[in-house]
Amino acid sequence: MLQYFDPGKPALNPDLDYGTPPAISEATVSLSIDGYDIEVPEGTSVLRAASILGIQIPKLCASDNLDAFGSCRLCAVEIEGRRGYPASCTTPVAEGMSVTTQNGKLAKLRRNIMELYISDHPLDCLTCPANGDCELQDMAGAVGLREVRYGFEGENHLAAETDDSNPYFSFDPSKCIVCSRCVRACEEVQGTFALTIEGRGFDSKVSAGQSEPFMDSECVSCGACVQSCPTSTLMEKSVIDAGQPEHSVVTTCAYCGVGCSFKAEMKGDQLVRMVPYKGGDANHGHSCVKGRFAFGYATHKDRIREPMIRGSISEPWRAVSWDEAISFAASRLKATQARYGRESIGGITSSRCTNEETYLVQKLIRAAFGNNNTDTCARVCHSPTGYGLKTTLGESAGTQTFDSVMEADTIMVIGANPTDAHPVFGSQVRRRLRQGAKLIVIDPRRIDLLKTPHGGEAIHLPLRPGTNVAMVNALAYVIVTEGLEDRAFIEARCDQSQYAAWREFIQQERNSPEAMEAVTGVPADLVRQAARAYATNGNGAIYYGLGVTEHSQGSTMVMGIANLAMATGNLGREGVGVNPLRGQNNVQGSCDMGSFPHELPGYQHVGDPDVRARFGKVWGVAIDEEPGLRIPNMFDAAIAGTFKGLYVQGEDIAQSDPNTQHVEAALTSLDCLVVQDIFLNETAKYAHVLLPGSTFLEKDGTFTNAERRINRVRKVMAPVAGLADWEVTMALSNALGYPMHYRHPSEIMDEIAQLTPTFTGVSYDKLERLGSIQWPCNDEHPEGSPTMHEVDFPIGRGRFAVTEYVATEERTTRKFPLVLTTGRILSQYNVGAQTRRTENERWHEEDLLEIHPSDAELRGIRDGDWLGISSRVGRTVLRAKVSERMLPGVVYTTFHHPGSGANVITTDSSDWATNCPEYKVTAVQVEKVSQPSQWQRHFEDFDERQQQLLETAIHGEKTDDVGVFK
Amino acid sequence: MSNDQLHHLIVMVNQISSNLHHTGTDDEAAEAVAGHLKKFWARSMKQMIIEYADQDGSELSPLSREAVAKLQKPVETV
Repeated sequence: MLQYFDPGKPALNPDLDYGTPPAISEATVSLSIDGYDIEVPEGTSVLRAASILGIQIPKLCASDNLDAFGSCRLCAVEIEGRRGYPASCTTPVAEGMSVTTQNGKLAKLRRNIMELYISDHPLDCLTCPANGDCELQDMAGAVGLREVRYGFEGENHLAAETDDSNPYFSFDPSKCIVCSRCVRACEEVQGTFALTIEGRGFDSKVSAGQSEPFMDSECVSCGACVQSCPTSTLMEKSVIDAGQPEHSVVTTCAYCGVGCSFKAEMKGDQLVRMVPYKGGDANHGHSCVKGRFAFGYATHKDRIREPMIRGSISEPWRAVSWDEAISFAASRLKATQARYGRESIGGITSSRCTNEETYLVQKLIRAAFGNNNTDTCARVCHSPTGYGLKTTLGESAGTQTFDSVMEADTIMVIGANPTDAHPVFGSQVRRRLRQGAKLIVIDPRRIDLLKTPHGGEAIHLPLRPGTNVAMVNALAYVIVTEGLEDRAFIEARCDQSQYAAWREFIQQERNSPEAMEAVTGVPADLVRQAARAYATNGNGAIYYGLGVTEHSQGSTMVMGIANLAMATGNLGREGVGVNPLRGQNNVQGSCDMGSFPHELPGYQHVGDPDVRARFGKVWGVAIDEEPGLRIPNMFDAAIAGTFKGLYVQGEDIAQSDPNTQHVEAALTSLDCLVVQDIFLNETAKYAHVLLPGSTFLEKDGTFTNAERRINRVRKVMAPVAGLADWEVTMALSNALGYPMHYRHPSEIMDEIAQLTPTFTGVSYDKLERLGSIQWPCNDEHPEGSPTMHEVDFPIGRGRFAVTEYVATEERTTRKFPLVLTTGRILSQYNVGAQTRRTENERWHEEDLLEIHPSDAELRGIRDGDWLGISSRVGRTVLRAKVSERMLPGVVYTTFHHPGSGANVITTDSSDWATNCPEYKVTAVQVEKVSQPSQWQRHFEDFDERQQQLLETAIHGEKTDDVGVFK
Repeated sequence: MSNDQLHHLIVMVNQISSNLHHTGTDDEAAEAVAGHLKKFWARSMKQMIIEYADQDGSELSPLSREAVAKLQKPVETV
């Protein structure tokens, strides 16, 4: 007998559709199907049980990512002792059941059903885009359909018009069989409920929104409907254009920190489509509009295809060989060090590149530059997470898997907007909310999770920007003073003296919700309700984003969150935990890989002589014992004239960092700026050396997502300029006189494993075997650690931290009476370098300033008006969007377009512990204007000049010298 | 050294002090601030703030001044 415990992954083939979702039950049931015995978990459908046995029952409306629906009736079976022909998708297995899946009666029944379907279906199979990948065609074949007795002349849907409004897929209702898979995918998988079946009986048809074109409906273009469509009704336009792909490679998305697995479906070296991979443990076959569709940037005409150099930034670029570019960069960097000292140069690692590439860049800086002047974009996003979680829990990472949210009873989301910034996880949260979990949102904005269709109870604490710590203290005050603590957990797991100090501090009256109401602006009663829900309503899980970290007390807030989790025992098991939602695809990895100036890979401090000795031995150099400069310190030193050279890999500091004019002044002061990127980004306009970067499609490596999951990135096409980013860094290191000779990224990972205690057990072989690994992965946890801190903390006992609220210096005044806060939207990603070069631009062509109706009315502002936004450091102009989502007194914008200059206004105010910029609080004034700001005019001029210098680049004789660096 | 650069360092150390001032006794708080600087500040930044404290120090908060006094001037190595 085949005994099958369903959730056991290895036996399942992610490329097969088992018809209905797995049943999660420990009890099993035995039955026989077509004479074969099988034992499966209770609750499994007959269809799935048959599928596991390798018996494919014909089906059309069933899919294993959707609940059984039972509408097509094609999966009918005969069950001994039961009447009729039940649908096997909606029939659960029963003990002793005997099922027949094929006999004459069933064959006739299925043929009749198919005959009806086909009588209202265009028979253009040979020219249909789904040819070769059509379930309807397959089923017609499987049931042996040979004739359609009804003819094709009757009333039909063949003339229905195609909706081409979405840039990525078309909707051709003439081919629709009304199986409802798209509607159910939109509801069950994505949670948007944009699709519905309109009309009844023969008039039933799929409709987006209220019979609108897809683009005008609530559709978020996640692609779940397209993926589930069994015909070519919903079809990728790229497949319509190119035809069916012929091979595919599983890889990891390079957009947000969710780290979805995709099958890159290829024709030769042409990427036809990205299909979310069911075997991916972060996304289980779901995707968002960015990862699924926005990959066109990889082959965009703006890609930098040749290495280029120039003497100064006013000169045109000169296209040169790799050899010349690398030698030029190396000699300039060496000359700079000779003149200004060892510490006068540094580098920035990329949170978009792979772990292996990031590791190499920081190694190059520490070993070849001989200093610790390395930093990464996490400086401006999650550096407070590193500091705060390491101080309290002992490890700089989130504690859970994404799936853990399915066990959470109370979900607290602080300063994050998952449905926009981490859409696939956002969909998972919505699934749990539909199952009845409580939601607590702490955010100045009314985020979309609060509007989850069919969601449960939700509490929104709309606090004033900059008052997070006051809020978290008030929540903790309620938990302590109302006796809601988990004393057993605290006694068993936490340091008692620090706990006592914290407890004494937190229960002071000044931390009460009533006392803090004046600070946060949130009614005390609402805060008390939220605290009680988190502490007492089952498993409490906290998810947070940049609304927590990007504040002057970002690190304090992270510690406050850890305090809450420790005080309520919400750590160390499924369904609970403290979870930073990471921004970029590999920001967790870039932090893990030693990108910070004070830490070697694995968060090992450079001041520790034992650590330095271990690295020194393998690297063959002495490592500086003092931390290096952080990005903002580098800028200050550059302006002061002591920092003169910078190597930047895949990071656009000129657009993403605060106080743009300060950054521009710093970049202009450099003698040697080496930028390695796929485009001429804003930073590259200040560069002397431009090295072509490679996209995630062009190289091998790994990314680590927000749940510490190490996922493989696999090369599907050659790098446009011949070298992958890791090869370029190697070449630069060799030219600087520090030898690096890796033949494949797997060898770099082996070195990482050798030096990083949390990566000891990681290897490409194991990744191949397991699919992905969540660190720590070592002798203690050979297959990785989905949940952290189950038994103890890496520092032994958890450490409560006293979290005094200190108001930010960035305050509103009469001159700057509003607070500006910044964020992201679904269709664009970070600085937009990738998404702006795709059709995603159609959803968000420009950054807008959202303003509350009352603030707008006071200033006579209407939708679409041009607004001048000024802060104490700068001024820019954006168009207005009047929005109820905002609190009065708070305005909001995104920073996806460089010309918007959102960061011209943001200031150098930063987190006290890590210098993470306070992007979320800038005091501003807003007024109607008629022309762009001075900075914007300067930007346009400079941009035009730099584009020109690139277009007129002098192309010398191209020497194909790639082989030298391989 | 530029004034801007020094000004930023003074703001930074004072900000660290106001966030750590409640750490135990005054001396423990100064140790905490000094420990933070030791762990996270680059050599050149430490040198600058120590020099400033020696020569002027007027813009440092009392706790910052005590903390910087506890900080050892980093030596040139490597």
